[in-house]
Amino acid sequence: MKQPGWQSLLSFSILFLACLAGFSSRLFAVIRFESIIHEFDPWFNYRSTHHLTTNGFYEFLNWFDERAWYPLGRIVGGTVYPGLMVTAGLIHYVLNLLHITVHIRDVCVFLAPVFSGLTAISTFLLTRELWNQGAGLLAACFIAIVPGYISRSVAGSFDNEGIAIFALQFTYYLWVKSVKTGSVFWTIGCCLSYFYMVSAWGGYVFIINLIPLHVFVLLLMQRYSRRVYIAYSTFYIVGLVLSMQIPFVGFQPIRTSEHMAAAGVFALLQAYAFLQYLKDRLTRQEFQTLFFLGVSLAAGMVFLTVIYLTYTGLYVRLLTCYAKIHIPIIASVSEHQPTTWVSFFFDLHILVCTFPAGLWFCIKNINDERVFVALYAISAVYFAGVMVRLMLTLTPVVCMLSAVAFSSVFEHYMGDDTKREKPPEKAEEGLGPNIKSIVTMLMLMLLMMFAVHCTWVTSNAYSSPSVVLASYNHDGTRNILDDFREAYYWLRQNTDEHARVMSWWDYGYQIAGMANRTTLVDNNTWNNSHIALVGKAMSSNESAAYQIMRSLDVDYVLIIFGGVIGYSGDDINKFLWMVRIAEGEHPKDIRESDYFTPQGEFRVDKAGSPTLLNCLMYKMSYYRFGEMQVRRGALTPPGFDRTRNAEIGNKDIKFKHLEEAFTSEHWLVRIYKVKKLDNREPLDHKLRSVVPKQKYTSKKVPLMLGGEFALQVWRDSFRFS
Amino acid sequence: MFGKLSISLFVLIIFYHDLSDAQKKKETLLSEKVTQMMEWASKRSVIRMNGDKFRRFVKAPPRNYSVLIMFTALQPQRQCGVCRQADEEFQVLANSWRYSSAFTNKVFFASVDFDEGSDVFQMLNMNSAPTFLHFPSKGKPRKSDTYELQVRGFAAEQLARWVADRTDVQIRIIRPPNYAGPLLLGFLLAAIGGLAYLRRHNLEFLFNKSVWAFSALCFVLIMTSGQMWNHIRGPPYAHKNPSTGQVSYIHGSSQAQFVAETHIVLLFNAAVTMGMVLLCEAATSDMDIGKRKIMCVAGIGLVMLFFSWLLSIFRAKYHGYPYSFLMS
Repeated sequence: MKQPGWQSLLSFSILFLACLAGFSSRLFAVIRFESIIHEFDPWFNYRSTHHLTTNGFYEFLNWFDERAWYPLGRIVGGTVYPGLMVTAGLIHYVLNLLHITVHIRDVCVFLAPVFSGLTAISTFLLTRELWNQGAGLLAACFIAIVPGYISRSVAGSFDNEGIAIFALQFTYYLWVKSVKTGSVFWTIGCCLSYFYMVSAWGGYVFIINLIPLHVFVLLLMQRYSRRVYIAYSTFYIVGLVLSMQIPFVGFQPIRTSEHMAAAGVFALLQAYAFLQYLKDRLTRQEFQTLFFLGVSLAAGMVFLTVIYLTYTGLYVRLLTCYAKIHIPIIASVSEHQPTTWVSFFFDLHILVCTFPAGLWFCIKNINDERVFVALYAISAVYFAGVMVRLMLTLTPVVCMLSAVAFSSVFEHYMGDDTKREKPPEKAEEGLGPNIKSIVTMLMLMLLMMFAVHCTWVTSNAYSSPSVVLASYNHDGTRNILDDFREAYYWLRQNTDEHARVMSWWDYGYQIAGMANRTTLVDNNTWNNSHIALVGKAMSSNESAAYQIMRSLDVDYVLIIFGGVIGYSGDDINKFLWMVRIAEGEHPKDIRESDYFTPQGEFRVDKAGSPTLLNCLMYKMSYYRFGEMQVRRGALTPPGFDRTRNAEIGNKDIKFKHLEEAFTSEHWLVRIYKVKKLDNREPLDHKLRSVVPKQKYTSKKVPLMLGGEFALQVWRDSFRFS
Repeated sequence: MFGKLSISLFVLIIFYHDLSDAQKKKETLLSEKVTQMMEWASKRSVIRMNGDKFRRFVKAPPRNYSVLIMFTALQPQRQCGVCRQADEEFQVLANSWRYSSAFTNKVFFASVDFDEGSDVFQMLNMNSAPTFLHFPSKGKPRKSDTYELQVRGFAAEQLARWVADRTDVQIRIIRPPNYAGPLLLGFLLAAIGGLAYLRRHNLEFLFNKSVWAFSALCFVLIMTSGQMWNHIRGPPYAHKNPSTGQVSYIHGSSQAQFVAETHIVLLFNAAVTMGMVLLCEAATSDMDIGKRKIMCVAGIGLVMLFFSWLLSIFRAKYHGYPYSFLMS
């Protein structure tokens, strides 16, 4: 390319196409179903955004949600990262100013795909700073379609991660830029981007640890320069002040251990700069004595601080962080599991094998900003190995480094030998056009396979709204199972506005968002004992559960039951977690071993443990199911559970305190009404004659009887005396 | 009358004497047993028993202590791997009790090996090991005195909960700290320090980029092949089908993996990476053209071969995945 104009036009159009591809490959769910919010957490975000747009920003910040965590309520304004809601609200506001009247729901649904385009652009910028323009364009194409990022940013997945990855990449771009130039302008830009990141996602902790690590390693490598000093000092101070403006973060940056590394590196950098300054001013001898004095003083200070911290119990807190992993409620979330190699390959495909090559090239040709990307890769790959959901932070760096690897191959093999001007002595050393074109062809084929894989994964694994289910018949026609919304709208239309609905915490946000009813627990699992109480009610027998439900003012109970259609994510399959969480808080009343057979199996058929067969969750799931013949040939007996492939063990289920209120079309959602306390049963005594034979005045007998009978007797005696 | 009285008195005295004699005998027997048990317990926290000892100290009636017995088969020819692990946990439990401040003669821990006391196994009609039984100080063992090994596992903490449930003795599990990790780390650090000291005049190797790049690559490859999952979940190395004797190195489901499998994947990933590096080296190095051509062909061969192999393994695990390349 001789003219730079052509080059920039080409870059621009490639970037534009990458954004477009990224946007459109995230629309599978919208095209197949409709413009709908997905899953669980997005429903809460949507509800808060709705609240923000209808009531204004200040009302949102002060919002106390009395419809969640009944009877405790939740302070929403102070316990969310507001960046997502504010972004969506702002876009909605601007569009309405321009008289483009879209509903807030559509803004929310399409926010993540739009931001994926921005992510592609910021990845391009960052990779261009690290390597070159060609690698940048490849990286932009990779990140636009890679499944590891699509998994969190399909249309309708209105979640923090969707915008946070853009903020993450943009902050890193500005940081690399400011280390390269040493200008305060870029650093302030970096701080503002960091502020946006803090307001959007709790993963900002990754940034505030990675950047200090970068500075620290630069110091160790003796790559200290004024540029680094200016960039980090400005970033730390301004970034700290800005991050503390988010109500949910508050004073955490100067209190908690996650942020201490940043402060420590800041102090170290100042000391280092001061020493450098002294070195210029003093003689060698003076400097040495001063240096030793300074080092011993610093060592003493560190020693004293450690002792102080040990006594104030910081270390205890640091250690208890580890204990959190073993709490059942955290272990029960499937995202908090370690990662198998299959998930790495599934989410990254060819990139997972090639990105070490990019890392190799970066380290072999090291400079300040490549130190950064190497550290980014190593730390992100560690976190992704520990927890599946952190694959998200690994994906951008994998795209960048793979792009580096591919682009260095293409750089050498794609160029045309005959046209390029070369020094004459290297002319006969070319690899020859045949080998070159074969290598290029094969590499392009790999990339094509990557694109096909990404589309397949996006379409098959990551585009289900999980609010609406679809099943396919043998001839390819599709059945839509819309039971969730059916049930939630039933609740919305047929129950009292202030009715309280008990369900397992997974469905809390959806009930609040779609049915607009008060819930007891929801996906913001901040109160373990409250959740344990709900778990205890679900796993006790009916009369014990009724007492708990009475004390929590429950009006309706909602459960998910998949036995009719073979839906595996239902409440019976989650039931052991309810038992475990309940056992954690009430070990006297609930024991996990009671729910197993003596052989240690969890069975719902006749061989199942009697405790299981009589607990509330079992009874609610299988109430009247024993009469039902699931259509699957005549071979299966009535009451055959398709999810667990067993005929249920307790077909004769009767309720005393509950009644069935609603069951959806495919029995997926079942709602029960909790009856109020009965009227007191009348005593069945004969009508007495008007004139009593003797007065009944004994005061002793009633005291010995139970309270209720005593009252009756006392009334009788009052009437006749 | 007097004679009658004296006779009855005599009988009473004799009877009383006899009774108190039996009582005393019983008490001495009991105290003998307890001191014997204490002596054994002071020697080793888990008392090893054979058939005679078991009948005398556990089965025979005068007893005011509970005994927790592990029935096991530790001889190597029995090939009971679970027994060994269970034995370690049981030792941890017994030691925690033995060296705690609350140690009394209320509870003793003992073990019966199948090869030393097979008659006990027959007597209790037991045909599987390991089994944990509790013999309460009073009365017969009930159903809940058999530990549910299948359900609760044999972790010392679970055993301690069961013991607390059965005997009201709370045991706080204290595991002996594992010195192997820190020792190894210290050794490694010492080795590195020694190396640095020996070569203190020439610290160039610290600035060798290839070393750093190589170690970074190793770390990344270890992580992406799922070694962390292995570390946390502890899967078996490979699965041997007991009926056919076939060994499978690849787990059939995408939710789990064997250790062998992750090693294979690690190698494949490394091969693809090496192929990419070779391709670039072939184009940029200043060796003679023949060698460079070989490097180039080897590079593209490595990338293609191992990637398609990896893809076929992935396809075997992820059912319903439609694409493959070179190999199905």
